[in-house]
Amino acid sequence: MGKGWCLFFLFWPVAAVVSCAMAPFVGWSFPYDNAQAASNLGIRIDDLFYIILIVTAIVFVGTQAVLVYALWRGANNREERATNVHGNHKLELIWSIIPGAILLFLAIYQMNIWADFRIKKYYPEAAVKDPLAEVTARQFEWRFRYPAIGKKLQQKPQPDDLYSVNELHVPFGKPVMIQLRSDDVQHSFFLPALRIKQDALPGLQIPVWFEANKPGTYDLVCAELCGWGHYKMKAHVIVQSEDEYQAYLKNLTQKQFYDGLGKIAAKETGTESEAVE
Amino acid sequence: MRFGFRRLILLSLIPLISFTGCEQPQVKFVFSQKTNELIPEAAKPVKEALVRQFGNPFELTQFEGLPTDFGDVQGTVKSVESSGKDQPLIRFQATGLENAYDKLLGLPLEWTSGKGQGHISRIKEYDFETGTIAVEKSPEIDPQSGDTFLVECVRLQFGRDLYNRHCMHCHGMSGEGTGPTSRYLNPPPRDFRLGIYKYTSTKPTSKAQEADLARTVKEGIAGTYMPSFKLLTDDEVSAIVNYVIWLSIRGETEKKLVDELFLDYSETALAERTSEDGGETREEVLEELKEYMELDFPDTLEFATSSVAEAWEEANLEDAIVTPQTPRVADTPESRERGRKLYLSQKTKCASCHGPQGRGNGTATQDFWTNPATNEKYSERGLHDIWGNLLPPRNLHRGIYRGGRRPIDTYRRLYSGIKGTPMPAFGGSLTDEELWDMVNYVMSLPYDGNR
Ligand SMILES: [Cu+2]
Repeated sequence: MGKGWCLFFLFWPVAAVVSCAMAPFVGWSFPYDNAQAASNLGIRIDDLFYIILIVTAIVFVGTQAVLVYALWRGANNREERATNVHGNHKLELIWSIIPGAILLFLAIYQMNIWADFRIKKYYPEAAVKDPLAEVTARQFEWRFRYPAIGKKLQQKPQPDDLYSVNELHVPFGKPVMIQLRSDDVQHSFFLPALRIKQDALPGLQIPVWFEANKPGTYDLVCAELCGWGHYKMKAHVIVQSEDEYQAYLKNLTQKQFYDGLGKIAAKETGTESEAVE
Repeated sequence: MRFGFRRLILLSLIPLISFTGCEQPQVKFVFSQKTNELIPEAAKPVKEALVRQFGNPFELTQFEGLPTDFGDVQGTVKSVESSGKDQPLIRFQATGLENAYDKLLGLPLEWTSGKGQGHISRIKEYDFETGTIAVEKSPEIDPQSGDTFLVECVRLQFGRDLYNRHCMHCHGMSGEGTGPTSRYLNPPPRDFRLGIYKYTSTKPTSKAQEADLARTVKEGIAGTYMPSFKLLTDDEVSAIVNYVIWLSIRGETEKKLVDELFLDYSETALAERTSEDGGETREEVLEELKEYMELDFPDTLEFATSSVAEAWEEANLEDAIVTPQTPRVADTPESRERGRKLYLSQKTKCASCHGPQGRGNGTATQDFWTNPATNEKYSERGLHDIWGNLLPPRNLHRGIYRGGRRPIDTYRRLYSGIKGTPMPAFGGSLTDEELWDMVNYVMSLPYDGNR
């Protein structure tokens, strides 16, 4: 065994620790605002991630250190002969019980977060009662259907529903729920900034809730390789104050019921005649 | 150390090698099928004219009078870097190009002052950050600081790059609608080369407005594979629209030229003319063609390009837009009922295609229709669009509005029809109130479970 292997196995734990330490400063970390999630549940999910990262880092660095030490000793010592040992009951127990305990701890520790995230019984009541919008994933775009102002989202489309594409507006500071659907193949509703990810399946309507905690424009991407144009399946989620959100809905209503002459005629012909110049 | 590095490197190369087998689309403008059916002596000048007027995907060419924005930018030489005798390039710093996009490489640069005035150089290197340009050295030019120049075609090239990234894989390099993904799509992607677009805000005989195409790019077309490109900036969308119109103009020009020649000089026409019944010899036909090419072809070309350009320009005028004279009639049961009666009436004949209940299954879908271009019957039953695709009439209960779901969008569909399809324009024959009644009826159908 050459000493080269010692260096090789030493390199990886060092590289792992250095790259993790560097990550927040060079933008390799979680997206947005100093790696801080834009939803409260997202912050809890991040904490979970960090616990797992620290546990695995300690185990990884520890085992690599022992490996490097053993290799180093072996490479420097030509006299001492290795002895053949068959099994060590104590050792077997230790390396079964410790990882088992760690896994059990993680399994129990994360249950609350998982329940809050995915079990409908634990969804915030207000959000479940009054879903914000229906989100339909489609090759290769996101279509949104909101209920008319002051009304509730119905299972079937209503004449006064409001529609938009690739631009979902959401108020912050309160939990909201969307009904996720797919028109064709399997897609995935992924809000990296909010740490929300849920597959959309054809034929199913899946409720997803989230609570954005600060205003901003966030990416909504498809996290399922869904076809040739998958990379195009990008939208924006615009998180804004309740007032701004209501103003947006009002504007959407006016636009959608535009008859070529109505109130926003000036604006519309303005944009249309711009093409003249 | 016996790492076996070499083996490691080889192993890591395997995924790379297996990825590079992907087929690349050909980078060239194709000619229409009809052009290729001309006899070679007639096809050649048509193809040459097109290359002259429009260039190829690498070198887009400009000619006067097009309504599309080629985007020439004016630059000024700031300082010239001294270069050795055997240096093949002249490098200089320039100002004025800050708002141009960053890929000026390969574009023509015309000197507008100084020694090289009137000469054209090609940009061999361009650094957007520093504003440094390199052009080939030639005895005719000798840039000095203060000399001015034009870089041509910047806007069109920007549009081309965006188009090739986002649109080409369906709509094809020449806008012919047969990009690599097109064979998987139904409805098939639009062939831009007829210059006809279905969902416009303009009068029945007008082309699409730039704003119409921009809206289609931004909103997508619900119910088809055309997705929304809302995340592109307005500037990018307008550059794409500019390029798409340019591709349309190229296609329309080609069509006009070929239509002039096709009856007399296609392979089949030649075969007929030189057959026993025709009684002409090949030499006679070619002599006649030669004469035509010398005397009339330049005028035909001039007329083709200018008439196409003019039509596009006119579509963008304000009075090309369909604007109702009266506001939408209140959406009441009475109005819907009046609309329903009109829908079923002989005046509109809506039901013959869309069916008595608007399910898209009218009797017309069972007929064999005649292709207006060839005057022959289609081989399949049902309606067709002018691109030759079978076109089932829309099921009005589905609540999918390809041209937009605003009342004005439906109004405009009724007023102007849907261009390129058998959907007729009712603009002249129905009053505004009648049109609005129909809008109210049609828009109520998706929510009317029983009918
Ligand atoms: Cu997808």
